[in-house]
Amino acid sequence: MRAIRTLLIANRGEIALRIVRSAQILGLRTVAVYSDADPAAAHVTAADEALPIGPAEPAASYLNAAAIIAAAREAGADAIHPGYGFLSERPEFAHAVQQAELVFVGPPPEVLSMLGDKVAARRIARRAGVPVVPGSDVADLQSAREFGAEAGYPILIKAAAGGGGRGMRVVEAPGELAGALDAAAREAEAAFGDRRLFVEKYLARPRHIEVQILADNEGNTVALGERECSIQRRHQKIIEESPAPQLPDELRSRIIEAAVKLARAADYCNAGTAEFLVDGDSFYFLEVNARLQVEHPITEMRFGRDLVIDQLLIAMGERLTEPLLPRGVAIECRINAEDPLHDFRPATGTVIQLAMPAGPGVRVDTHLLPGTEISPYYDSLVAKVISYGATREEARRRMTVALNEFSLLGVRTTADFLREVIASEVFARGELSTHFVPEFLAQWRNNSADLKLALIVAASAARNGLGVTAAVGTNDGDRSSGRPRRSPWAELGEFELFRRDPGEPKP
Amino acid sequence: MKFRRAGYPEVLDVELTEIGGHSARARINNGEEIVAVIEPTFAEGGIVRLGRRAVRVFSTRGRGSILVVAGPAQFEFIPVEARGARRPHGLATPEITAPMPGKVVKLPVTEGQQVETGDVLVVLEAMKMETALHAESAAVVKQIRAGVGQMVDHGAVLLVLSPAPSPSPSGAASPAH
Repeated sequence: MRAIRTLLIANRGEIALRIVRSAQILGLRTVAVYSDADPAAAHVTAADEALPIGPAEPAASYLNAAAIIAAAREAGADAIHPGYGFLSERPEFAHAVQQAELVFVGPPPEVLSMLGDKVAARRIARRAGVPVVPGSDVADLQSAREFGAEAGYPILIKAAAGGGGRGMRVVEAPGELAGALDAAAREAEAAFGDRRLFVEKYLARPRHIEVQILADNEGNTVALGERECSIQRRHQKIIEESPAPQLPDELRSRIIEAAVKLARAADYCNAGTAEFLVDGDSFYFLEVNARLQVEHPITEMRFGRDLVIDQLLIAMGERLTEPLLPRGVAIECRINAEDPLHDFRPATGTVIQLAMPAGPGVRVDTHLLPGTEISPYYDSLVAKVISYGATREEARRRMTVALNEFSLLGVRTTADFLREVIASEVFARGELSTHFVPEFLAQWRNNSADLKLALIVAASAARNGLGVTAAVGTNDGDRSSGRPRRSPWAELGEFELFRRDPGEPKP
Repeated sequence: MKFRRAGYPEVLDVELTEIGGHSARARINNGEEIVAVIEPTFAEGGIVRLGRRAVRVFSTRGRGSILVVAGPAQFEFIPVEARGARRPHGLATPEITAPMPGKVVKLPVTEGQQVETGDVLVVLEAMKMETALHAESAAVVKQIRAGVGQMVDHGAVLLVLSPAPSPSPSGAASPAH
């Protein structure tokens, strides 16, 4: 461990900007990297220096370990922060960083390796006396049959090298087992390059509750409360809150204690999250995410703490500072560039205008600026809106007000859908499970109160001459041909939808 | 004026009468009259006042559509032509185009192949998600204009279809004698 003077951030989007900010607070020199799709991104201009690292395709840039380490050398960085996703949990990357005599801001490669293997992680949990989802680590047909008979159906087949909800299959009856195991093994091979499977009891309406862990090099391990992440869509979290609502204190303590025990058993270091499934009075270990998580801001709001600063200080060999007592409730909504009415299909385009919420107890983590390109190469997260309140109801109302202010022209987002969810009675009651979104979607009618108003604006715009040769579209087709994009600023006349004076002759 | 909201089938009818200043009287689908004051504040936005309520909106023209945003609500309105547009070849969509930029990951059909309603024609990948485009009716794949692994833009033509030959009594797809 040694002092870090220059930090390279091996990531993009909102998290890269987030890390740059905290590193600058510590007085570190910051180096950003960007692909051909991100040359004007917010993290590029926020950092002290920026280096291009390759084409837009992640494999060629943000997943290109060699290019990233070369950039670190060129810029004289002494450390690399991997953010989340991309290379953050790849033991080979962490190892390569260390081989290059750079500090990897995260747990050591051996820990990443151990916790990345879901079967190995379960074994560590069991040895530490932490309950795991009842299951069998061996998934040949015979063991799976025996497990099914003993635990009862439905059961879940999972990939040992999988994660993030991928490579899973529910088996409802013994007759389906053989076929499901075959198919799952093939899928696992294709997706993760590893056929190994394991089986677990399928929990019907579980809550997804996770615990934030921080550990320093001296073995001091603390838990910074829990987060409820049950509101998900296709295993992707969309709303998270802390603390978990309606969770008995006693159960909360047991879960947190289990997370700390597990972290110690794994010799954990730096920031990480232990995930659990909660079913009634019981809780079961699911997996450890050995990195900073997307939803970390809600923990920061309650504990008055900057987790990225914590990560950097731990990486520098500093001892953990004593956490403050948590206060209040924090909620986060992940705004994605997706169309909720078309099965959340990803949307792309250029941000033309935006207005972000603000005010006391409102935090927005986003990389969006006018002109930001949302391309198809990366995930669709565009902004995180976080609200804080002394009580859950205050945080919920604050979030509704915040989402009402959230406005973006140029790309479809899920902001209006999330506002409806937050404003709903079901959400207000706090009765959450992982079935929330499908059930909500089934009864959601997107009847916007502002449809009439919007129509009037459109009609007024059309009146000013909507030609077929209309100007710049939201999705720009010129990028591939290499021609510069048509900018509204170059053709202001065509863009003037709002006639300043009805008497003025048209240009 | 008639508009369709992108993604919805209903046609919305708007009657707009400008009455001086920035005011207009509007009637939607023959409903009650609404008086709105529409004030520009910059090229892509302004204020709309309905009674004492003032709403900030952003707006711009998209590809053949008008985008309007009010808070988190986003609208895309497509003007509906007075005359029904004639479609060539008798197919609703003879050209299968990419609904968003992405990469072609699957092309399970070949030129000359006959497809049925619902058959998958092409699968695109964008933002780590796959989107499949299906045949809306029976057709024949006339031309394939994209290849697996190719990056395509929004609106790029991926396949061209022609109508399926009507079945003859013998079941073979051949012209009647």
